[in-house]
Parts: sequence; C-alpha cells; structure tokens
Amino acid sequence: MNDFNNLTRRELLKMSGLSIAGITFLASCGAQAGVTASPNIASAGTVPPTTALGEVVISDTVLLRTAASLEYNAIDTYTKVLDGGLLTGDFASLKDAVKRFRDDHNGHADAINALVVSHGGKAHTCANTRVNNLYVDPALKLITADGNADAARDVVTLAHALENLATQTYQGIVALLAEPSLRGSAMRVGQDEARHAVVLAQVLNPGYMAIGPSTDEVTGKAKVASVPSTFGSLSSIQISLGAPNSEGAKTSLSLETPSLNGLVYDEISC
Amino acid sequence: MTNKSASAAPPAPPKMPTSADKQLLDFALSAELSVHDLYVNAINSGMLSADEKIMMEMFSDHHKSYAQSLNGLLGKAASNTRNEALYSTYAGQLTSAQATNRVLQSVENTMVATHTDILSSLEGLDGATLVASIITVEARHAAVFGTLPSSSLSNALNSAASSLAPNAAPAAVTTETTVAP
Repeated sequence: MNDFNNLTRRELLKMSGLSIAGITFLASCGAQAGVTASPNIASAGTVPPTTALGEVVISDTVLLRTAASLEYNAIDTYTKVLDGGLLTGDFASLKDAVKRFRDDHNGHADAINALVVSHGGKAHTCANTRVNNLYVDPALKLITADGNADAARDVVTLAHALENLATQTYQGIVALLAEPSLRGSAMRVGQDEARHAVVLAQVLNPGYMAIGPSTDEVTGKAKVASVPSTFGSLSSIQISLGAPNSEGAKTSLSLETPSLNGLVYDEISC
Repeated sequence: MTNKSASAAPPAPPKMPTSADKQLLDFALSAELSVHDLYVNAINSGMLSADEKIMMEMFSDHHKSYAQSLNGLLGKAASNTRNEALYSTYAGQLTSAQATNRVLQSVENTMVATHTDILSSLEGLDGATLVASIITVEARHAAVFGTLPSSSLSNALNSAASSLAPNAAPAAVTTETTVAP
C-alpha cells in the first residue's frame, strides 16, 4: 500500500501536473481534437442513425400513464400464462393466485387511469412497448423455447420480477410526482404489488429462511427473498430464464424501471 | 428512473421537510419506535418458534432502521419517544404465538396505511422518498405473515387497516377497490 502521508507538497504538485498532461494527451487522441472525418480512412460497419428524444415535459400525468402501462404489461403477461397453460406440474395450483393478481392489476390500471383523467391527461390502456420489447417478450421466448424443462418455474420467476418492477416503478415516481396526494396514491398501489411479489417469492423459495436475503452456496448468486432489503430497493432486477446452455447456465435478464425513453408521454397512444 | 425535463416543468418541490412535514414525520418516527418495541416484546415472550423468532428479529431491526432514518432526517425536531397509544393498544394482545402473528400483521398493515396517508401530505422530497421506501417493505412484512406459517392468499394481500396519521391529507381519490388500506 502507498504511503501518501509521506509525500511532500512538491511531489504532490508534480504528480498532479503529470496527470493533467496525460489527460490532455488522451483527449487529443479523440474526436474532440478537432480532426475532421476523412472518407479516405476506412471504417468497419455503419453507425446506425439515432433519433433524439424530442422536447418533452415529464408531468404527473406522464408518470401515472407510465405506471398504468406497466399494469397492462402484467395483465397481458398473466393472460398469456393462463391462456397458454404455462403453469404446469407443481405450479398448476397457482392459477387462482395468478387470476387474483391479474384482477388486482386491472383494478390498479383503472385507478391510475382515473387519476390521469382527473388531472387532465388521457388514460393509457395498453402495455409499455419498451418493457415488452426489452423484457417480457424475450423472457417469454426463452420460457417457451423447446428444451426448457423449467418453463413453469420460469413463469413464476418472470411474474415475480414484473411485480418487483411495478413496485419499484411506483416507489421511484414518488420522487418525481409534483402533487403530494398523487405520491400517496402511487404507493397505495405500489404496496399491493409488493405483496404480490412476496406471495410469488414464497413459491420460488419457501419458508422462514427465505424471508431475508441469502446466497446460493453452489452458484454464489442471491436467492429469491420475500423481504430482500431493509428499505425498498430501486436497483435493477436480475433473473435467469430458459433452457440451460452447455455449461448449465440460464440466460440472464436485467430489468430496470422505465427511463426517459420508456415513459408514456402525452403524445403516445395505444 | 429519470430526471425531469427542465422545459415548462412546474416548480420543483422542496427537498427538505417543511415544518408541517416534520410534525408528520415525527409521528411516523414515534409509531416506528412503538412497533419496534412490540416486536421486542414478542421476541422476548418465549412463545415463538426459532424460525418465527429469527423473522421477528429481522422485522424488528427494520423498524429500528426506519426510526433511525426518520430521526436522521428530522434532526433536532425528532421527539424520539414511542407512541404510547399505539403500543398499549397492541402490547396486551400478544398472548400466544398465533395471536402474536395475527396482531403484528395487523400492526404492519396499520403502518402501511399510516405512512401512505402521511406521504400524501408531505411536501419535501427527502421525507417522501424515505417514507415510500418504508411502505413497500412494511407491506412485504404484512404479506409474509399471510404466507407463513400457512399460506392464505387473501390474508397476504388484503388489508382493512386504517391510518393513524393525524391531520394527514388522504391520498387522491381512486376507484380502485382491491387495495384496502
């Protein structure tokens, strides 16, 4: 370990001078050096065009419409699970619970959309496209792929992740909602999603020892916990789904609450 | 989550608790101290199984953490005394392991309702985000009591608890019916 306490003021100044020189050199190597691009310099591949996000305002109604859209992600997923007969074997007994969860999400969506309308917005009655594209659709594809012997368990894993995602979304928008009463309304629904998550967590990892956080001794990964932290977390949600690869590992997905490009702005309609 | 766009956005809410916020947050702090003490009573009762005891020690620690966090936010405005009315209402009901589970689930549901009510009135974002992060976990506590030792879906999900919060504005009216508190 370095003994920085023994450095003199002169040595420190010398070190900082060298650091500045290094940073200047590295900066001059990059595009910011003012060198214009030349067609004579070969480059591999093409840079896809990007679409900048237009001028938008993240109002309370936009945040609530986004929350409503996640309710429809859950509703649609549970409908696919029930209609597709994906709960089999030991998990078949969960059908009633899944129906209850879907009913709850329908109630949540109606409640949130009623708030949207009462605050001058337009109700949003369909799923969040970005959440579907990034998480739900790839997850269902992995679950229903040939060779997945754990499809029913994976369905519960996905449902648990979606309930946690909804919980985090409601908790997260509390910091962004301008009207205090709407924060309470958001958490009135958010706490219900947390209860769903607990029921599913106890299916995936039952018993008293599964309430708090724990680690799988074989894989070193965190086990599913009913109460994973002291305070509600807003960190990304990691899940592993699908048929294992040749090394026995499932495909990992990381779910995050909607960001700027996942919000349901006023211009977006179903 | 994300940051708000600067264009045409409404004025940002205050970060720190207002005077009115402090009164509500102090009430929340006193309630958390009471719940912590109720769990300590249960843990020391000798009526719980080893598994139940471990669970309640965890939940007790959580409530202590909530009280400490609220205390940190309030600073000198924190009274740091438990809510005697809340404590005495439930302390005498911890008469058996089964009763303890039932009563503490009711307490957790009451805390969820109380904090949600308080949240609906808080202006300052620091207090609001802290209370929101407490609500989700206390709802989880309540749901755990509905799944263990025996699982009951309706017991885990339903709550008829009322808020204890003084002078807190109710959350904006919704037509939602499945979320009880």
